[in-house]
Amino acid sequence: MESTVTGRKNGDQPPVVQYDGVVKRFGSLTVLNGVSARVNKGEVVCLIGPSGSGKSTLLRCTNALEIADGGRVVFEGQPLPKTEAELRHVRRRMGMVFQNFELFPHMTALENVAVGPITILGADPAEARAKAQALLEKVGLGAKGGNHPSALSGGQQQRVAIARALAMDPDVMLFDEPTSALDPETIGEVLNVMKRLAEEGMTMVVVTHEMSFARRVANWILVFDEGRVIEEGPPAQIFDAPTHARTQSFLSHLGWNG
Amino acid sequence: MDFDFSPILDNWRFLVQGLLITIELSVATIVAATLVGIALGLGRVYGPGWLRVPLTFYVDSMRAIPVLVVLVWTFFAFPLVTGVTLPPFWAALAALTLHISAFVSEILRAGLNSIRPGQVRAARALGMSGAQIVRKILFPQAVVRMLPAYGSLLSVTIKDTAIASVIAVPELMRQSETIAAQNYAPIEVFTTAMLAYFLILFPVTRAVEAFYRRVAHLGRS
Repeated sequence: MESTVTGRKNGDQPPVVQYDGVVKRFGSLTVLNGVSARVNKGEVVCLIGPSGSGKSTLLRCTNALEIADGGRVVFEGQPLPKTEAELRHVRRRMGMVFQNFELFPHMTALENVAVGPITILGADPAEARAKAQALLEKVGLGAKGGNHPSALSGGQQQRVAIARALAMDPDVMLFDEPTSALDPETIGEVLNVMKRLAEEGMTMVVVTHEMSFARRVANWILVFDEGRVIEEGPPAQIFDAPTHARTQSFLSHLGWNG
Repeated sequence: MDFDFSPILDNWRFLVQGLLITIELSVATIVAATLVGIALGLGRVYGPGWLRVPLTFYVDSMRAIPVLVVLVWTFFAFPLVTGVTLPPFWAALAALTLHISAFVSEILRAGLNSIRPGQVRAARALGMSGAQIVRKILFPQAVVRMLPAYGSLLSVTIKDTAIASVIAVPELMRQSETIAAQNYAPIEVFTTAMLAYFLILFPVTRAVEAFYRRVAHLGRS
């Protein structure tokens, strides 16, 4: 499906998410300084770059957990609405996965996955629970539905969190450093679930420091520095032949040898 | 020194009546103060600005004024101001509820504020409304987190019912005073009263603690 027009997957179709000169300030600090980018249908776009470069903030501007101060975010052809009530409807179509999982500790794994459809979409509880069980099986946790988060490892909690986001049938999944809080031995199980999602054609925006994941799974890489996208391209280009000096130094700091 | 416990044996029905009223007043106060306190706490944390100021003033006042003063005012001054006289039991229930609910609201507020912002972010990202987030995500966790402090407050509440004796509510303390005075047996009667309070309170505090240990993980995010 590589488009010869733009060199990007589904580049000939309207993007799922488009950022037009997004600006975000916290007080006097400018965190995003005019970011423009697009995410096409079925693409895995990885956001890489040093801490504090604005990657996570752009992700939060995507589903309006943070409201951009300038520019605009366009989702499926519509700029993000202004009112909280309208934004809630948009957020339901975007799944989000957090660094610290943020499972709801008072609910079992199954309830965590089912709570969105039941509470927000008014789904039939029995159907929602059956679907939640299927999603837990999909992330390899079919036997853990009755466990509370406190009885799950970090990797298991993050997989439940992915299932929770998928339960809303999102059009795009946003991952905010999903493996940064994990023990090394459980990172792989989360990345495998994400890789499988990508293979199924899920549109994904991933903030990550896992360069090998970005290299193997991403279709497109955005390199952030000081609130800007300083370089973008397919992984082969970014990792093997980065043109920007800051990209080169960032990658070499991570011990990336191409 | 000779001890004579016969006044207690002779008047055990009278004392048990007092004990039952102590329990009734305690349970009624706990239920009412918990409901009012939850409403106050939610109002202070999530209510509109114009509501927060008077609620905060109310809570601060109740924390600053001795419960005995509130009780005496409710029983003796309130009827003069409003023309409505409350029977002693109801005056005690009202005064204790006014007082204890302020503390319930503070405990709930602390519990709600202690939940990390990521929980709200996760619920918002799913598409929940503010009311859904409070009801489904924050309130249940806050309730678990407030259990230890709430358990202490339960003991304080049960103990505080003893001051209802000053407005002649026939609860355990009042009945004990009567028997002690009639028989001049303060050591025997008041020791028995102490023991009775202890026997009610000890299991309550233990039970809350044991319950908290079982559910603490449900509030840990």
